[in-house]
Amino acid sequence: MSGKEKKTVKTVIDGKEYAFPQGTTILEAAKSVGIEIPHFCYHPGLSIAGACRMCLVEIEKMPKLQISCHMTVDDGMVIHTNNERVKKARKAMLEFHLVNHPLDCPVCDQGGECNLQIYYMMHGNYISRLRENKVKKTKKAFQIGPHVMLDQERCVLCSRCVRFCQEISKSNELGIFQRGDREEIDVFPDMQLNSPYSANVVDICPVGALLDKDFRFKTRAWYLESADSICPRCSRGCNIEIHYNLNRPWKNEGRRLARLKPRCNLEVNDWWVCDEGRYSFKFIDDDNRIEGPLVRTDGKARNTGFKEALELAAESLRNSAASTDVEIAVLVSPRAANEELYLLKHVFSEQLPGTRLVFSSATPFEPTEDDILRKKDKNSNTRGAELMGLTPDSAQVWSLSELKDAVLAGEIGALYICYHDITGLPEEFSAGWAEALERIPLVVYQGTNTCPTSEKAQIIFPAAAFAEREGTVTNFEGRVQIQQKVFEPLSEALPGWQIIQSLGVALGGSYEYESAEEVFADLAKNEPAFAGLSYEKIGSGGFVAKDAKA
Amino acid sequence: MGNITVKKIDTSRPMTFLERIYIWEILRGLWITNRHFVVNMFFHILNLFGIKTKRKGAVTIQYPEEHRGWHRRLRTRHYLARREDDSPRCVGCMMCETVCPANCIYIVAHDHPDPNVEKQADKFTIDMGKCVYCGFCVEVCPEDAIRMDSGHLEICSYTREDMIYHIDRLLEQHHDPSDYKNHEEWMEEYP
Amino acid sequence: MLGELILKTIIIVVVVNTVLAFGGFLTWVERKQSAVMQDRIGANRASILGLRLWGLFHILSDGIKMFAKEEFIPRTDHRKLFLVAPFIAWFFALMGFAVIPFSNTLHVAGYELSLQIANPQIGILFAFAMMGMTIYGLVLGGWASNNNYALLGAMRGAAQMISYEIALAAAVVGPLIVYHTLNMQEIVLWQAKLWGGWLPLWGIVVQPLAFFLFITAGAAGTKRVPFDLPEGESEIIGFNLEYSSMRFGAFMFTDFVEKILVSCLAVTVFLGGWQVPFLTENGFVFRGETLLALSPLVIWLIQPAAFFLKVCVVIYVLMLVRWTLPRFRYDQLMHLGWKIMLPLAFANIVITGFVLLVLKA
Ligand code: SF4
Ligand code: SF4
Ligand code: FES
Repeated sequence: MSGKEKKTVKTVIDGKEYAFPQGTTILEAAKSVGIEIPHFCYHPGLSIAGACRMCLVEIEKMPKLQISCHMTVDDGMVIHTNNERVKKARKAMLEFHLVNHPLDCPVCDQGGECNLQIYYMMHGNYISRLRENKVKKTKKAFQIGPHVMLDQERCVLCSRCVRFCQEISKSNELGIFQRGDREEIDVFPDMQLNSPYSANVVDICPVGALLDKDFRFKTRAWYLESADSICPRCSRGCNIEIHYNLNRPWKNEGRRLARLKPRCNLEVNDWWVCDEGRYSFKFIDDDNRIEGPLVRTDGKARNTGFKEALELAAESLRNSAASTDVEIAVLVSPRAANEELYLLKHVFSEQLPGTRLVFSSATPFEPTEDDILRKKDKNSNTRGAELMGLTPDSAQVWSLSELKDAVLAGEIGALYICYHDITGLPEEFSAGWAEALERIPLVVYQGTNTCPTSEKAQIIFPAAAFAEREGTVTNFEGRVQIQQKVFEPLSEALPGWQIIQSLGVALGGSYEYESAEEVFADLAKNEPAFAGLSYEKIGSGGFVAKDAKA
Repeated sequence: MGNITVKKIDTSRPMTFLERIYIWEILRGLWITNRHFVVNMFFHILNLFGIKTKRKGAVTIQYPEEHRGWHRRLRTRHYLARREDDSPRCVGCMMCETVCPANCIYIVAHDHPDPNVEKQADKFTIDMGKCVYCGFCVEVCPEDAIRMDSGHLEICSYTREDMIYHIDRLLEQHHDPSDYKNHEEWMEEYP
Repeated sequence: MLGELILKTIIIVVVVNTVLAFGGFLTWVERKQSAVMQDRIGANRASILGLRLWGLFHILSDGIKMFAKEEFIPRTDHRKLFLVAPFIAWFFALMGFAVIPFSNTLHVAGYELSLQIANPQIGILFAFAMMGMTIYGLVLGGWASNNNYALLGAMRGAAQMISYEIALAAAVVGPLIVYHTLNMQEIVLWQAKLWGGWLPLWGIVVQPLAFFLFITAGAAGTKRVPFDLPEGESEIIGFNLEYSSMRFGAFMFTDFVEKILVSCLAVTVFLGGWQVPFLTENGFVFRGETLLALSPLVIWLIQPAAFFLKVCVVIYVLMLVRWTLPRFRYDQLMHLGWKIMLPLAFANIVITGFVLLVLKA
């Protein structure tokens, strides 16, 4: 927005006068006062196409109906969004859109969240007058990219997807071909819809023409419940909705989490997420999830229950702390939530003074980056760790290679690893670690999934995945955002902060946090960077931590 | 269809003396039941001695041996219909699963090899032990795939597992109209 | 002495077995009667080798079922009481039959042969005493079940049965004043009188109101519908809630035995017992003319048959009532018992006494 104050204009919509900033489209203006005008081609994140004519409204003194997505409000305008003329036009437009639309609803994944269905029920409700055969396309649904299926017959030619590829992903794969009733969406010859943002076209497609391959036929949209969260896949911290299904466990191959959808946050990700993030949830319901606390003796892991495992871990950690020639090290993860990092920092420094903190932001993922959303740092909370002084910038914290040197020198008696799969990292970080891990007398692993590193640990704590616990993460610009608890942790798994708190209690401390929110309240009190923040204040849009810009 | 008349009883009227002392009314009641007993017994005895009478001593239909025949509107156990080419009609849209008030339909869908069909049910299971025979699933099915005129009414089993019908069992039972009667026949027989 | 002992033993065995068999038979009768009344057929599936006999074998199959069923015994401090309670009720119900005269006395070879186990002077009081004792079985059962519903049911039962026991006793006082005896056999003998030479002077004739009260109170005392509040099997559930298997069966069976007992009492006191109208020691006699001469043995045999027939009729009527009327509400029950039946019974006593006094004078 420019620095100049925008002029406000007075406009009458459906008999009531409102004031809007000049330049607002009628559609947006109506929406802001609670009047929904049906539309297909308009999308707030894209340019205006005026292709669908669903958004027609009557403006007094104008002879013809006008498209509200393009027309802006002006002083003295009298707009009718719902009179007989508009209704009739809408109905006619809808009928027009449906003339060649196949009766695919039973097999169409969009069913239940399809704008055609919704508008038909709200504005259509006519009896079909069509006698001719519908125009059929040569192919039904086919794959146009790694994640997207296209069914041209279902398309209403709103061109949202085309504009997305032109304006947002700038990859220009899609176009409109042919004319008249043979007009259709397709990828350009010899092209694939394979940009890193390809699956966003599925979200913006108002009908079932573009569908998610991964989600295809897994369940139905109305079986899903939704919760707000933050994408864990990179330091952008895109806002997402988690769609999950607990009531019908036979669906979706038994996975609870069905899909991720972007959630609009104009400060972070607008309406989009990248494909990497969108499909990053599979680990949550993977078969290799760690389901219970394990203690490994003679190469055999045994589920002992939390009490025994915690006591054993505490005792072994205290033993190594007692010996003077070895140190205890804690490998902190930038994938952990702020609450967890805070407790890690405090529990270890209070119960086992002298514990060496180690930090690494390396991930097994390819460090892709662009100027749309994706960031090179594939951790969700590196900035949070930084703000708490847990990164190697501060002299007390080691990097991974410093740790390896110490291990090889035999100086490390015990290593507590959070989430990191050290051996699975790219060569430059993981080199030598397979043997190095063997040299540490005690390795405790806290994580969600079994991995080569956890296989080397003697004590393993099952941690809840990001959708199974409440917590906050700080994105690259210092915005603290909440990841809601969507469903219960798998089997015996516990939220990370709870594991660390219990460990602290087993080590003799007294920590009595009842929820992540309480931990965060303390965190906000003690960490200057987070001063004044609370869950309430963060809300669903996030809040930039105070001296993040410093 | 004839009109159904209901005997009107005026409850606002004050009771007569006879009604109030109750005994007379009891005796009237006893008379009615007794009359039924005597009349029915009379026919039972006639029938016992092999004398055929139009009226029977009892209205009972001895069910497993005697079949009453089914009205064509009767809902019997579900089956999944097939297309002309013998493939299942069901496209796994899960409408029936959604509408089922007993939550007894379990569907898992997957791709159909024919792109014009696209989708089909991979697993289709009905727990007959839970089904309330409301017929909503039939009503809602856009493909006329699930039907409840199989003519199989006697579903019983010794185990609960046996009451769970998987897709193979649902596909193999076809419409068996032999016991169905159309409305006119039915009304004639059981007015 | 020994001969008498053997004789009495035989009679006891005969009476007890007859009553039990008849009780069992009644379970079938009740089902079938209700079925025919309601235009149904009734239980008819039990069969032996394809022979169904209108479901008669259901008596047998029910018995087997009762024995074979799992017996559930609740955790209770009164386990022994719980176990014996059904049989207490059962025992006392059977005891009542000791004084019922099923036939006249036959003098054979110096022995007095009578189908009556004992003939005490206070016979009718004994019968009432025994009937009153059956309450114990019910109350103990409900109490020992360690279940509030059972206890409540038992309490309802106790209150109801005591209320109606009083009405029952008061109802027979009238006839007893007329008969001037408590001896059962003598009561029956009194009823041999003919009024005007043609109307048998049975209790029902001299005391119609008492008869009516007796039947009503009798139905209530045996807790049959419409007086089945202690049990209320279909909804309010009652004293036998925790009982299963044969012990439940015993309770149920007691009901039938009691029903027979009440019918026997009604027949003895009001319907001339074993009396057959116009049948004297010499055969059928009407207005001094012998219509049919019969040998004493035949007469002696006709009499129990007549008794049996009368009992059947009373039971038929009781069952007819059971399948016709719906259950009373508890307040209606108490209202009927205390405010209607009892005053009527007392009035009956007073009037009877007054009338007798007038007649004597
Ligand atoms: S008949 Fe009703 S309860 Fe049974 S499966 Fe169909 S919808 Fe469900
Ligand atoms: S409603 Fe019909 S087509 Fe849809 S899943 Fe059920 S049976 Fe199949
Ligand atoms: S939304 Fe305005 S023309 Fe499509």
